[in-house]
Amino acid sequence: MSDPDLLLDLSDLCIKTAERTLVDGVSYSVRAGKVTAVIGHSGSGKSLSARAAMGVLDVDPGLVRGSLRFPGWSGDRDWFEGVRGNGMKAQRRLLADTTILRGGYLTYSPQSASSALNPGRTIGRQLEIAIGRRTKPATNIGQVVKDVLNEVGLPARAAYALPRELSGGMAQRAALAIAIAPQPRIMIADEPETGLDPVLRRVVTELMLEVARKHGVGLMLISHNMDTVDRVADVVVKIVPVGSKPTLEGAPV
Amino acid sequence: MNATPASANRNVLPERPARTPAGTVRLHAPAPRTVEAQAKPIVEFNGVDKSFTIPGRWPWSPKRDVHAVRNVTFTIKPGEVLALIGQSGSGKTTVSRMVLGLEEPTKGEIRLEGMRWDGLSEMQRRPQRVKYQYVPQDALSALDPQQTALEHVIESLTILGKRDPTNVEGEAVKMLERLGLGHRLYALPREMSGGEQRRVTLARVFALQPKLVVADEPTSGLDPDRQESVLEDLIHNLPPEAGCILVTHEMTQARKWCHRGLVMLEGQVIEEIQFPDGDPKHPYAKMLFDPWGQHDFAMSTAF
Repeated sequence: MSDPDLLLDLSDLCIKTAERTLVDGVSYSVRAGKVTAVIGHSGSGKSLSARAAMGVLDVDPGLVRGSLRFPGWSGDRDWFEGVRGNGMKAQRRLLADTTILRGGYLTYSPQSASSALNPGRTIGRQLEIAIGRRTKPATNIGQVVKDVLNEVGLPARAAYALPRELSGGMAQRAALAIAIAPQPRIMIADEPETGLDPVLRRVVTELMLEVARKHGVGLMLISHNMDTVDRVADVVVKIVPVGSKPTLEGAPV
Repeated sequence: MNATPASANRNVLPERPARTPAGTVRLHAPAPRTVEAQAKPIVEFNGVDKSFTIPGRWPWSPKRDVHAVRNVTFTIKPGEVLALIGQSGSGKTTVSRMVLGLEEPTKGEIRLEGMRWDGLSEMQRRPQRVKYQYVPQDALSALDPQQTALEHVIESLTILGKRDPTNVEGEAVKMLERLGLGHRLYALPREMSGGEQRRVTLARVFALQPKLVVADEPTSGLDPDRQESVLEDLIHNLPPEAGCILVTHEMTQARKWCHRGLVMLEGQVIEEIQFPDGDPKHPYAKMLFDPWGQHDFAMSTAF
């Protein structure tokens, strides 16, 4: 790949179960410092294709077509090589092979922040674990934890709080802190604004964008909310239920 | 369609009625609901306060008092749909729980249809509860995972509605068909989509012909199209003289489906807006209605 900014390239993904086709012909790419928004109805395969982009496949027979490349990490290697059409066993091997990617090169933040945080560990401890996944291990972890918290606008004492002691907005910030702590190249946010009120929705989205731009992280935003997508996305990918091909609505800015 | 006995084979599904194909955007018009302004109000709140005592982190830590609702006064007339608007933690849910008698106010007076509602015991409230119904935020956790859609509605009719279990089935089927679930009578909650689960919670509420429906964010977690159609089903099936409280985060929904909106900030009602034409005046309300504009975000409470 010649493009140095290209971080993830998923092309012509097709996943089937024994009865029906779940996604067919989905392609998108994530570039450093840019926001790729994936929109579509529920059940159209947004989350499924995002999971496939992370190497997580768990349907039978599953992957039929498609290729997945991480040019910023593994060059021109196609991770779906040998998995296509080979069923569950090959998919499980892919899952094991790509473990090192998840939480390091790319991080995933699921829909609800407060349920994604570990209820039994303080935010500081969870951050320490996330920082431990950096490629270059940090030496002064205490200071790094403070820096990361500061970056998302949380006070340093939030490191000692348990998730249930945080309000919704603070939990959302803490989840973002954990997502950026391993210094990922790609961040995948699955409907980050679910259950938030409109003001918080804007604040969290802007914060995520600011952090992503500052570190040159490629952000993939899965969302229902056209209001947010219109304002923040550089590229919009629309996934429609199987039957018609996805359309690329915007060119890279 | 004829009523099918509940004992019928679950695997033989009744024929699916024709519906709008999935994915098409329906253009909705809000149902014209007339507010009977002269009639006796269904809900009266008079200077209601509520505070909670919250335990500290450890059993020996000092307890804190949280003042969730302060001096809230409003009324709902028959036929009226009222929106409760505000950020998370502004006291919307506490107000709706007090309306249903699930929380006792610490101060003030609540009347439902002129009857004193606060300070009653559960025994005194129980016979009245059938008239005041609740649509939950999380439909999946509110439904019984072992009961089919039809059984949910029948149970609500027989237990709350005190109806004879032998002949409520036709009525329950009719209710589900009205909400477009005629082909899903024997489906379990986990087999249904998010929108269908919500319609089951609506069906079992409307089967009872309630006087008041409190809907606590009935559309959270659905995509925009489905949010619209669930709200449409909610408002169109509301009995004409019933009142409704809609707790919501979406200002466009409030403007479209409600007669009035109460904007709450830290437990207080700071503004009352007439829909669909009224515009917010208070800077905080303006921020809620147009979050992407230029505002002083220090006003926002939910950080």
